[in-house]
Amino acid sequence: MAEPTCIQLDIHGQVCPSCLLLTLKTLNQHGDSVRAGQTEIIVMTNDRKSVDTIPDAVGKMGYQAEVTRLESGYRIRIYGH
Amino acid sequence: MPESPFFLILVTSSLAGLVAGFVMHRSDFCVTAMFRDMFLFRDFFLLRMLVLLVVASMLAFELGRLAGVLRPYPFPLLGAPSLASLIGGLVFGIGMVLAGGCVVGTLYKLGAGSVAGGVAFLGMILGSAFYAEWHPVWSAFAKATVLTPAITLPQALALPPTVLILPLAAVGAYLLLQWHRQGKLTRPAYTAGHIAPWKAALILALIGFASYLLVGMPLGITTSYAKLGALLESQVWPEHVAQLAYFKALPLAYVAPFGSETLRGGPGPAFDAVGAIQYPLIGGIILGAFISAMLVGEFRLHFRIPQRQYVSALLGGVLLGMAARMVPGCNIWHLWGGVPILAGQSLLFLLGLLPGTWIGSKLLTRFVIR
Repeated sequence: MAEPTCIQLDIHGQVCPSCLLLTLKTLNQHGDSVRAGQTEIIVMTNDRKSVDTIPDAVGKMGYQAEVTRLESGYRIRIYGH
Repeated sequence: MPESPFFLILVTSSLAGLVAGFVMHRSDFCVTAMFRDMFLFRDFFLLRMLVLLVVASMLAFELGRLAGVLRPYPFPLLGAPSLASLIGGLVFGIGMVLAGGCVVGTLYKLGAGSVAGGVAFLGMILGSAFYAEWHPVWSAFAKATVLTPAITLPQALALPPTVLILPLAAVGAYLLLQWHRQGKLTRPAYTAGHIAPWKAALILALIGFASYLLVGMPLGITTSYAKLGALLESQVWPEHVAQLAYFKALPLAYVAPFGSETLRGGPGPAFDAVGAIQYPLIGGIILGAFISAMLVGEFRLHFRIPQRQYVSALLGGVLLGMAARMVPGCNIWHLWGGVPILAGQSLLFLLGLLPGTWIGSKLLTRFVIR
């Protein structure tokens, strides 16, 4: 199976709640593809609140999320199964 | 002992600010999000944290009052409730959503490196100074729409505060217990050094109580934004600042809990009791959040954000600055200080804040974050 394409969202420094809103918007556009494992969404941010809320929010929608630490922020990988 | 009557106030306010800034950054204790996310995401988690903070403060303030250690009661600077507080709350709600944080929220975000937070901070100083231009008109409106001369609801009903406050706190405590049983007071966290919001709520209630006990009032900072505005404006336009009635007023005149002389202060540019109480809080919150962000290695300035977010932060800041003078007082002052003692101004502010936040959320998703 081919490697999934990545959509990268760099949301460093933006006002709240850009991070969650833009993530949800991207999921709205590419949800089927993410669910099918063809696309992954990578969110990079230093907004602590969204690092704690995005995994929960996308989890409820049936996606997986994985948080890793970056040098001065966080990377959230959102993917299907 | 140092002889300055401000010594205890300066020390208390600095420490309160430092701890509050640190804790708010670690738990991202954002009052704006408490209201906004309810409208945007149907997320009530943070609002439950506010209920916890208010109920804890209600109990602490009421027990402190009964023990006779909270003086003066009600605390200074609260006025008669009028439509000014309701409308001010509405404008405040719009402003805080557009600014991406309330008065205190933008401070801890600024301390952690948020450039938008810094822009909102400048907007608030501008808005506060601008308010001084039309203060006479607004003040006349406030006087004309006073609902009752009583400061608090118990006073208005001629009841002892305990009779109203304890049953209300009991209802709140019952709700909290239900939420606790349903696991609704905690949620998973992935950030470094995270402090659970329920702990932050209790710590902030404790800080508010300590401030009331030692300074004579709970946390409040917005009058000093007008002060900073007056100070800056007087550098370029001293005659104008000197003739504005608003900057001459000294609404604060009280005897601090551990002092003997009357301390006075107001929005004018001179350093007075308002400056002694509020400047250290502002500095403390910024510094506390900065230390917190440095310790987890997350302090970094990011300038490259969409331009419309800078505009939104500035506009939101101006609205916040003006609204905080119209009410008068900010959300921290009213929600963490006034609501727990059922101050009329604070209850009206809260009532206005709800539709304001809703309007702000609509504007934000329509024009700012796209």
